[in-house]
Amino acid sequence: MARAMWKGQLQIGKQKLGIKLYSAVEDRTIRFRLLHAKDLAPVEQHIIRKDTGDEVSKDDMRKALALSAQTAVLLQPEDLEKLVPAESRDIEIMRFVAPAVLGDQWFERPYYLGPDGDNGAYFALAEALKRKDVIGIARWVMRKKRYVGALSAVDGFLTMSTLRRADQVLSFSGIQPAQSVTPQASELKLAHQLVSSIEADFDPSLWQNEYRQRLCKLIEAKARGEKIKPIQPRKKRAPASLEESLRASLAAVKEKKVA
Amino acid sequence: MRPLWSGTITFGLVSIPVELLTAVRPRQTAMKLVDKAGHALGREYHCSKEDKKLTQDELVRGYETDSGKMVVITDEEFESVAPEMSGDIELRNFVPLEKIPPIYFNRPYFLAPSGKSTKAYHLLTATMEKAGRVGIGSFVMRGHEYLVAIIADNGVLRADTLRYADEIRTPQAIGLPRPGKATASKVGQFAKAIDDLTRTDLDLTELEDQEAKALEKLAETKQKEDEDVIHRRGLEQAEGEEGGAKVIDLMAVLRKSLSKSAVVKTADDSSPISLDERRAERAAKTASHNTSSSKRKARRSGTKRKAAR
Repeated sequence: MARAMWKGQLQIGKQKLGIKLYSAVEDRTIRFRLLHAKDLAPVEQHIIRKDTGDEVSKDDMRKALALSAQTAVLLQPEDLEKLVPAESRDIEIMRFVAPAVLGDQWFERPYYLGPDGDNGAYFALAEALKRKDVIGIARWVMRKKRYVGALSAVDGFLTMSTLRRADQVLSFSGIQPAQSVTPQASELKLAHQLVSSIEADFDPSLWQNEYRQRLCKLIEAKARGEKIKPIQPRKKRAPASLEESLRASLAAVKEKKVA
Repeated sequence: MRPLWSGTITFGLVSIPVELLTAVRPRQTAMKLVDKAGHALGREYHCSKEDKKLTQDELVRGYETDSGKMVVITDEEFESVAPEMSGDIELRNFVPLEKIPPIYFNRPYFLAPSGKSTKAYHLLTATMEKAGRVGIGSFVMRGHEYLVAIIADNGVLRADTLRYADEIRTPQAIGLPRPGKATASKVGQFAKAIDDLTRTDLDLTELEDQEAKALEKLAETKQKEDEDVIHRRGLEQAEGEEGGAKVIDLMAVLRKSLSKSAVVKTADDSSPISLDERRAERAAKTASHNTSSSKRKARRSGTKRKAAR
């Protein structure tokens, strides 16, 4: 049973719901330490003045907001204190929108919400969100920081994903390929056939982090003192024309299906 | 500008050389590390035994086993773990975008074409856009494997990294109660509250960076009052708080590699993308401040500027 990392209260118009927040992500990164190659002693990080190389203590460190290449405003500890938002348990839902309105570039980090006392009301909200097929745009303050998030229902449970800010998300327009690189109708047709031939539903269980698994094995083998044979990279295929490549790919897919 | 990764996307026997660029602008709250007098600070690694400064060449990565043994993995070994995966993103499936639950999305990147011909790049983009499908594949970058969805977005390819299934917790593993039957009246109350707040579009002011706004306002006030303003050469080299995210000129890269008319915008369409544009905007703002404030003050800040340099 995981521990809740925070407790709050959803505010949807006049409706309120107490919730607990749990991380939906499990960190599986293999962590390494930086060592000095010669004696394998762990390294220590020192903060120094760039111009003199002198070490600077934590008390003498400040943050500065850059205004231009050579100008910045230094922030004193009391300035930073002033910027801390007022503490609150409220998660304000500002609006609901159709899920497709929010592109995936916005999503930053997912959390599960769990009920805090009233299970009935919790599952009622999940049910209502599912029926209406919407997500809620939320704002709250947690551990002295402001967050924006998307409230949604996933398999009958409530989730909250933190979102990136409006000036972080980038979009494009005006991409017009030159005539010489615009694909031919015949190429488009072949490419479409190729895409259709390997169409599927998204099944995350099919994808394993192979690199992580192999790295684990390598570490274990080295720990036992075994010698490791490096794997040789595959040879690159010879480049062919776009249309030839498409035809050959399609033929290969068909062959696989027959076999 | 250096790409984060370069390699090829392959689907079938078609290969498309690409470069990977970040598609997320760093938050405008990112600050520089300085000392009390405003000198730029930096990080150094020292050996904990010898207390001497170490260069990048003198560092290795070690893994501490449960029994406390330190296993060193060399750069060659990191590469040899999966040599075929560090150069290619092989698209093995094409799936409908809406079938990927948002919980899986981790971080978006842009893929810019890097080969001589961009024809195959445009072909894949047009095909996926028309079919409404995104390609799924994986690749290795800087000692980590990433599962990615390759998405065609207005003529540009994006690689959005996805979490692996074993990186996502289930409600059962967290220990959430089993979904019970919800009371109809309570569902109705929530449904009514949802209806009242349902809109067609986002309001981007709701998604703006309030922390950055507050910080900017404070910095502007301090600048106007000429308090704690630093003018120093080399300031831009100061280490950032989070390892110093570099602002890149994405638009220039894409105009060069993809289309002369490419336009990159932020979602709120208000912030200049390139560092030069942003500096120009800052400079314009500062100039208007100076003309509106008293001459005496302008002169004072002028002399201070000289003294600090």
